[in-house]
Amino acid sequence: MEDYKFLFKVVLVGNAGVGKTCLVRRFTQGLFPPGQGATIGVDFMIKTVEVDGEKVKLQIWDTAGQERFRSITQSYYRSAHALILVYDISCQPTFDCLPDWLREIEEYANNKVLRILVGNKTDREDREIPRHIGDDFAQRHGMYFLETSAKEAENVERLFMEIAVELMEQAKCKELPKYDGSLGPINGKTTSVSDSSCCLRS
Amino acid sequence: MDDDLPTDFQVIVVGTGMVESIVAAAASRIGKNVLHLDSSDHYGGLWASYNFDGLQKFISEVQSNPKRQWQVYNLKEKWYIEKETPQTDVEKGEENKTETDDKANPPKIWSQAAFTFEYRKFNIDLTPKLLFSRGPLVELLISSNIARYAEFRCVTRVLTWLEDHLVPVPCSRADVFATEAVSVVEKRMLMKMLTNIVGYNEDEMNNEFKDWHDKTFKEYLTHKGLTPNLIHYVLFAIAGGTNKMPCLEGVKECKKFLMSLGRYGNTPFLWPMYGSGELPQCFCRLCAVFGGVYCLNRPIDKVEAKTLDEGRNVIAIASKSKTLNCDHLVIGINECPKELLSPEPIESSDISKAVFITNGSILKSEKEPLTLLRFPPLADDDNAVTVLEVGPATGSCPKGLFVVYMISNKEKDAESDLMPYAEKIFEMSDNGGQDAEKPKCLWSLFYNVHDTSAPTSSILDNVHVCSGPDAQLDFDRAVEQAEQIFKKICPGEEFLPRAPDPEEIVFDEDVTHGPDFCGEAEDDAPQE
Repeated sequence: MEDYKFLFKVVLVGNAGVGKTCLVRRFTQGLFPPGQGATIGVDFMIKTVEVDGEKVKLQIWDTAGQERFRSITQSYYRSAHALILVYDISCQPTFDCLPDWLREIEEYANNKVLRILVGNKTDREDREIPRHIGDDFAQRHGMYFLETSAKEAENVERLFMEIAVELMEQAKCKELPKYDGSLGPINGKTTSVSDSSCCLRS
Repeated sequence: MDDDLPTDFQVIVVGTGMVESIVAAAASRIGKNVLHLDSSDHYGGLWASYNFDGLQKFISEVQSNPKRQWQVYNLKEKWYIEKETPQTDVEKGEENKTETDDKANPPKIWSQAAFTFEYRKFNIDLTPKLLFSRGPLVELLISSNIARYAEFRCVTRVLTWLEDHLVPVPCSRADVFATEAVSVVEKRMLMKMLTNIVGYNEDEMNNEFKDWHDKTFKEYLTHKGLTPNLIHYVLFAIAGGTNKMPCLEGVKECKKFLMSLGRYGNTPFLWPMYGSGELPQCFCRLCAVFGGVYCLNRPIDKVEAKTLDEGRNVIAIASKSKTLNCDHLVIGINECPKELLSPEPIESSDISKAVFITNGSILKSEKEPLTLLRFPPLADDDNAVTVLEVGPATGSCPKGLFVVYMISNKEKDAESDLMPYAEKIFEMSDNGGQDAEKPKCLWSLFYNVHDTSAPTSSILDNVHVCSGPDAQLDFDRAVEQAEQIFKKICPGEEFLPRAPDPEEIVFDEDVTHGPDFCGEAEDDAPQE
């Protein structure tokens, strides 16, 4: 079994083309993919980080392109610990869609999920959404706020590290169930069932 | 946004039910270019799970739309509680209550308003089903790696109705030996018979069963010298049968049950967290991960066969202002234009269903139970009734409640078919009535579903019709049909080969065409 103490599921949502995949790739692999195409074959990516000397594994899920026609499966939101809602600071329509996304999040995600609003593409010179507008929106909806550039690697590390730190803190004070390393009972092996949900054990 | 929808695909799938979703995933997985549509704003069709608000919308839609009544009818919803909680009760913030409060407080008095307030915590299935631990769906979820999109819980007990009481059925070998309900002599007889059943093989009919083709399972069990109680356990609870069940069918059902024991929990069954409606979505996710395009809220108007200018034969689908072309159309029977269906198959029995929300388990237990109850027919001509009870730990309802499903073949109508069974296990009266033994029913819904589970073909080549949900306990027929359709579309291709884990994905420097996979290497080796 791998050596980590916590596993957190982080999911990204937001309009197509705002740079969700780029944020994930920048953080997990340290690169900025030049391709323009929609996301194919990428399911979720994993990176283990260290917080206060403890290993934390982040499982970061991408939308698999289902956001393109507003058709994300409810199951995508299930059991997420943190949810990153992304817009493009140089594209007003991606900001205008945020209330729609929030409605979907309200409906399907756990109401205790950690929510972060991210304005991506600060490297662009044709900014349409001033920083304070994004900040206001985040405050009104009880979300953390950060502006990033996946291209210039600005604030990307910070975004995920802050999520890890915050989730760690929550986990410690609320005694959130720890991850035991098996993804659900269905892994071909015989399992005994614990009291808590099958992949999370207290 | 819809205008961006591409128009040319190898495979278009219409409807997001179980069979459609499995086919979509399988086709996309081996590289087919797939578009998956649904006319409604959510996944699953008649296989969906709804929160309480979504369920209310479903009910009013069925009641107002004659088209839907072709699928679902005799729908009857009833409340057994007040609209508002009486003023004397101080409302507490449910969300912030800690778990330790639970025992100190008297049981919550539920009102309709409280249901509305907590509507998001309900996940109520239109087609609740279990998975056999070694059944085809579990094997497929593991072999395809789709299991990572879902979580499961073990069914904790199997109950039966015996001498006017609910009793647990000993399932495992250990259970059988531990139980005091069965004598030592009976235990030996039972084990011997179960061993025979496990040895049963359809292809090389062994001596044990060769003379039993035309007899009933009950006759076989009686012949083996089983006592009435044992016959009851095996026939009704394990085989899920009736007195009329043919012997070999009973043997097959028993074998399936026995073969799935001992893998995950104390019973042979698993239940998906948040309901059965999650499962089609898991397959859709895989389809999307491999490039499938998803578009809900996209009704189709017309389907026809067409030859394009370059001589290619396609199925053309008119949808909104667009024409979508594909080589193969996979379509749910309820979405398929009726004129495309081959003459209707022979009349089959429809399905009677009911959902109850109660304030406690049908049989109290120390830990929260997850229960399968197979009700033997109460009257001679009745059908057996399958009962599933799920609680808050499965994500089906708020704390303090249980959701109970009943499924049976239709005799008269859902309410007349199932009410006698409900009255045995719930307190069904309005408000009053204090039967300390039974949980109180707070809300009920009865409905009939048109049985569309028989395989149906289309008058057009390359249009593949997917069946609707059946009354069976498991998903086996859906998996089987999906594989058959896939083999027709993609002959010779592997059905849902294992998808790589994220650690196995190797990206090229230039990634415009998507990643390559290194499948076999270091399969289960630790990554760090």
